[in-house]
Amino acid sequence: MRLLEFQAKRLLAEKGISVPKGVLITSPEDLQRVSFPTVLKAQVPVGGRGKAGVIKRLEQLEEASSVVYEMLASTVKGHPVEALMAEEPVEVCTQLYVAYLIDKQVNMPLLMVSSAGGIDIEEVAKRTPERIIKKYIDPAVGVQDYAIRSLAKALEIKDVWAFADLILKICAIFQEKDATLIEINPLALTPNGQVALDAKILLDDKAAYRHQELFDDLEAEQNQLERRTKSRAEELSEKGQINYVPLGGDIGMIADGAGTGMITLDMIHDAGGKPANFCEMGGMANAENMQRTMEVVLSNDHVKVLIISLIGGLTRMDEMAEGIVQYLKDNDQSVPIVIRMCGTKSEAGIPMLRESGVDAYEDLATIVQIAVEKAKEL
Amino acid sequence: MAILIDENTRVLVQGATGSVGSFQAQIMQEYGTKIVAGVTPGKGGRKLHGILIYDLVEEAVQGQQVDAVISFVPARFAKDAAIEVIGSGIRLLVLTAEGIPEQDVLIVLRYAAIKGATVLGPDTPGVISPGKCKLGVHPHTMFMGGPVGIVSKSGSLSYEVGRVLTKNGVGQSTVVGIGGGPIWGLSQEAVLEMFEKDPETEVIVLLGEVGGRQEHDAARFISQYMNKPVIALIVGRTAPEGAQMGHAGAIIEGEEGTAASKIAALEKAGAMIAKSSLDIPGLIKKIGE
Repeated sequence: MRLLEFQAKRLLAEKGISVPKGVLITSPEDLQRVSFPTVLKAQVPVGGRGKAGVIKRLEQLEEASSVVYEMLASTVKGHPVEALMAEEPVEVCTQLYVAYLIDKQVNMPLLMVSSAGGIDIEEVAKRTPERIIKKYIDPAVGVQDYAIRSLAKALEIKDVWAFADLILKICAIFQEKDATLIEINPLALTPNGQVALDAKILLDDKAAYRHQELFDDLEAEQNQLERRTKSRAEELSEKGQINYVPLGGDIGMIADGAGTGMITLDMIHDAGGKPANFCEMGGMANAENMQRTMEVVLSNDHVKVLIISLIGGLTRMDEMAEGIVQYLKDNDQSVPIVIRMCGTKSEAGIPMLRESGVDAYEDLATIVQIAVEKAKEL
Repeated sequence: MAILIDENTRVLVQGATGSVGSFQAQIMQEYGTKIVAGVTPGKGGRKLHGILIYDLVEEAVQGQQVDAVISFVPARFAKDAAIEVIGSGIRLLVLTAEGIPEQDVLIVLRYAAIKGATVLGPDTPGVISPGKCKLGVHPHTMFMGGPVGIVSKSGSLSYEVGRVLTKNGVGQSTVVGIGGGPIWGLSQEAVLEMFEKDPETEVIVLLGEVGGRQEHDAARFISQYMNKPVIALIVGRTAPEGAQMGHAGAIIEGEEGTAASKIAALEKAGAMIAKSSLDIPGLIKKIGE
């Protein structure tokens, strides 16, 4: 889960890391609570906001409401702006970059710092990578003081204690909340100490069960701010925790594995068809999952044909057949369904489908061809 | 011999009495895998399909050799179970669970590195050496013995390719699923190295997908170290940026994660590129000529 800036800063502040004083704004009325001058920042889950013009310093209330209107009506990289933060400006002496993340190339947590913090950090990484200082943190021993002292020395930081305190706090949040990334950019060095001017935090969805209340609260907060209307298929898939990606075409697709799902899409595309979605049930799907998944994919009115691409390993084909048959019994639907079924227990599954009048093929290319032709006819 | 496992591999099944574990244990045993023990806490002393169940791994390895473990322990308990296996000195662990928290995986992989153990996965179907040993959940009728080594992120895609090869009379030496990511124990690169050294493997099929940059590392390895021919199939060519395509690791973040950049890198490294599973038998035939 990617937190919005104000959510990320709240997590930092709870741990004692200082952030600018701020007010969340969802309408111009909220400006009554803001003291000026202030910095308005759009709360969208993407980077590059400064360059997109959705971070603005305002000197007085008079000019503010039109700016708020304008920003709340804007869209940044496909994300409609639903909320703004109005933050007290901070006197900045130096801007640092600080990040703690999991480096998936070497399977180790990595501390990264730079004295070239700010909006151009990606350019710095590209052009002068030596200005980004990296320190791997062995998960067997955790972060130690010497590693922090080494980074502080490289950055020529005077107040090593304050810096060490900040790094240890970041590492603690990372550990305690199952984060996969905590990035503070810039970390401002001010006359009054260090202040996190911007923050990006990613939490590990796979660890949500360890922090259920926190995840639920953050998600509820984000949903409340979301104005974009979701399709029924997206709503159902979120509720049922089904991996569903809308793709805009007319051939619905359900697979029992990610790889087989992706190759099915590629083959549909190569055969001249247009996939309506990607949908994968995961390695351990059962009959009930199949029914719910069909409900999701077929709730999209644009689907003219449905491909079900099954190659059972962990997933049992007798259970998949049971789910398909049950769905067809319970629902009055007219979209033609083309099924590929092979693998674990398919010798039981295929007869179950045939008994209820649904055919199943063994070959993936065959169903792709049938589906693409049908979609063109309809 | 095949890589990672062979007909002599002595296997322990962890999480052996759950519905998935017991079902898959029976299939592996019927296939000919030497299953010497099962472990489920609290179920010690029972027998399942003739396999003796123990409460703890340390009890199961008393007085007998165990070469490999396949774990069906659910994600929430996977860290503890994996560390138990690695701590007992077993050298190969297949982690089938999907959705283990990333920080748990980091600890498991770090401990494995310290103890010299190999971890396959997580989120892997395991490994099969057709006709010899199956340490996984593969639909094994789709595979047969032969000279092609397969390494795949996705389980289901390796089944699909195995099925097409077998139908065309082309057998496989070993089929390795490295898992759906985003963190991997054994990497594509490491498996390529094993295949390069394996006398039974003549051709390697690399099955990759969008997301991450492992295929770029694999490409570099191919161009620098490999003499055997490699055929690569990268799926997700039509995947949009930022969407999660099933696997936790299959999400395009930046140019390197796209199928196009991976295909270009592999082609430049000298790999032959297949557009779909159906192209692969033809490409193998071409190598033979």
